Amino acid sequence: MRRLLLTSLLFAPLAARAQAPAEDRLKALEDRLEKLEGAPAKTSASAFNPAMGMSVDGLYRQTHDRGTFNLRSAEVNLEAPVDPYLKAWAILNANAKEVSLEEATLETTALPYNLTVRGGRLFASFGRMGHFHDHELPVIDRPNSLDAFVNGETQADGFEVSYLLPTDRFATATLGMYNKLGAENTRAANDAARGLSQFTYLGRVAAAFEFGEDHQVDLGLSSAWTPKRPVTENMATTTSGHVVGEVTKKNTWRTLNGLDMTYRWQPAAGGLYKGLLWGTEVLQNDERTFGRNVGDDNLPKDRVRSYAGYSFVQLKLGRHWRPTMMYDITQDMAAARTNTNTLTLALTYDVTEFHRLRAAFSQVTNSLPGSWHNDVVGLQWTAVLGHHVHGFRDR
Amino acid sequence: MKTTLLAASFALVLGSPRAAAAKPLRVVATTPELADIVRRVGGANVSVDGLARGPEDIHQVVMKPSFVTKLNKADAVVYLGLTLEHSFLTGLLDVARNPRLRQDNVRQCAGEGCIDCSEGVKVLEKPASVSRAEGEIHPQGNPHYNLDPDEGPTVARNVAAGLSRVDPAGAADYDKNLKAFLAELEPKLAEWRKRAAALKGVKAVSYHQDTPYLARFTGLQFVATVEPKPGVPPTPTHLERVVALMKAQGVKLIVREQHFDAKTTAWLAEQTGAKVAVIGVMGNALPKTGTYLEFEERNLANLLEAVRP
Repeated sequence: MRRLLLTSLLFAPLAARAQAPAEDRLKALEDRLEKLEGAPAKTSASAFNPAMGMSVDGLYRQTHDRGTFNLRSAEVNLEAPVDPYLKAWAILNANAKEVSLEEATLETTALPYNLTVRGGRLFASFGRMGHFHDHELPVIDRPNSLDAFVNGETQADGFEVSYLLPTDRFATATLGMYNKLGAENTRAANDAARGLSQFTYLGRVAAAFEFGEDHQVDLGLSSAWTPKRPVTENMATTTSGHVVGEVTKKNTWRTLNGLDMTYRWQPAAGGLYKGLLWGTEVLQNDERTFGRNVGDDNLPKDRVRSYAGYSFVQLKLGRHWRPTMMYDITQDMAAARTNTNTLTLALTYDVTEFHRLRAAFSQVTNSLPGSWHNDVVGLQWTAVLGHHVHGFRDR
Repeated sequence: MKTTLLAASFALVLGSPRAAAAKPLRVVATTPELADIVRRVGGANVSVDGLARGPEDIHQVVMKPSFVTKLNKADAVVYLGLTLEHSFLTGLLDVARNPRLRQDNVRQCAGEGCIDCSEGVKVLEKPASVSRAEGEIHPQGNPHYNLDPDEGPTVARNVAAGLSRVDPAGAADYDKNLKAFLAELEPKLAEWRKRAAALKGVKAVSYHQDTPYLARFTGLQFVATVEPKPGVPPTPTHLERVVALMKAQGVKLIVREQHFDAKTTAWLAEQTGAKVAVIGVMGNALPKTGTYLEFEERNLANLLEAVRP
């Protein structure tokens, strides 16, 4: 016992010296951990700034013997959550002529019962390709049918409520109310106050079907209804050119219906690079129209029902190549027996996911006997920089 | 008295965790091997749906409408994180309208049901600067840690912790199942480490920059990638450089991730005399690799087969 005590006393300083580095290391580690835990998070003053991205879309277009370079759009998008219940985004578009606000939208993220409300300036959920931005289209130009019937993108100031049905099959129902529908719709002023009957109301139902692992079909039915639209007839003029009066015709109305179908064949092993995409939209415009001038008998002065639509097929051949063919038939909305037909052939080369080159040829013909046809060759160069998202709706 | 007893029993049954067990926790997992771990850890308390099937490029998984309805009804989503699933998970969560699983552009998912398996993972290749000039890099670091079997226990623990958070009544079950899974995994890890010794120091080329974790586990030395930058398809000039590099450094192994085209790596092999090993970057990428153990086992076996003299 005495020997043990003596040994302990003799070797205690040595043992303490051996323990000391380990204890020191532990203490040093604890100190570092304390500092790390106590330190403020390393964030900058820009931490809450929205995510930002941009697309640049340039064109060269040749029609017969004339060509032009065209900066079609430089589009900046900003997006961020507002709070736990809301997110917002804005898209500013600049082209060679103007800068415009394409979208400035608020969208709820936490409503119960599978509901989502969007409001502000938004791309309304009418049809399918109408809410694609220009640089996302499968060919260079938006189908003529959408340009004529929807008036460009489905831009609208207003709000919409959508509901995801609580079923195993994906199905949604959407209701919307807007000042008007269509970015270039000149039927009504966007900023004028109006009665409830003069807004445009949207109803849409959509469902998706999967056949096996590789095949999907999306179907959608949309209707945009404007119950009342007061129309002021153009100034009547005398033969000498003097204005003699302005005549206001009775109210009119408009219903735009659309049926859209998208078929996708996407074999799993090909990811997003291989497969086939077939998209079709048929539009029906039902509208009472009036002659452009008093005494003008060339245009109908009553209800006109006209149709338009397009169908396109795109093959995805790998990481680079995507040939596309689109055919569009558009009836004249004021003279339904006149068609404009457009055949477009396009070849897209994806340099990378964010960088794309495209060449396209379009032949535009008019169905009136002896009428014109127009051949257009286009070259497109598109880049996407910064923040980007892979959205489900526009997939 | 009988009525009181019946009412009390009824109340007990309704209030007990086993009542919840009658309606299992609905969990969605982004990849097949994650789904397997969730099944193992969750046991009878969970029903699991997977999103990616396995043969896809994990960066390019097709968003299917049925994925939206699965996520809409899910109590939890289990994902690898580090923005690996950014091409599909964030887009799906954006439209799934599930307040428990909200879309988040940085973390992919925000909400009480989000189970991020990357927590605690020793992340490699955190970029010093984030620029697309470097290709499709992931701002939070290389996300392919599921190719390192040593991270398997971390993933399983994250799954158990996440399930316990979402379903505290089942915590004891998840802990018990976790221990059982780890008890099966640990001996396999020891065995794989021993077998992987044959790969240590072997120089290799991979198609995509998704092998640093595999290198960490096996000791393989990856000297180049077939893609000039992550996500950028190979160019002839770059391939010529890779051939020259492989010849100069005596590289004898090409690792092709199953979803990339076989022609390019076959050409490289022909030019250099190297052998090609095909691996999966997630479960089910290769046949009969639906479970986590099968997935890791097959990748290692294919690598060893390719370097066998």
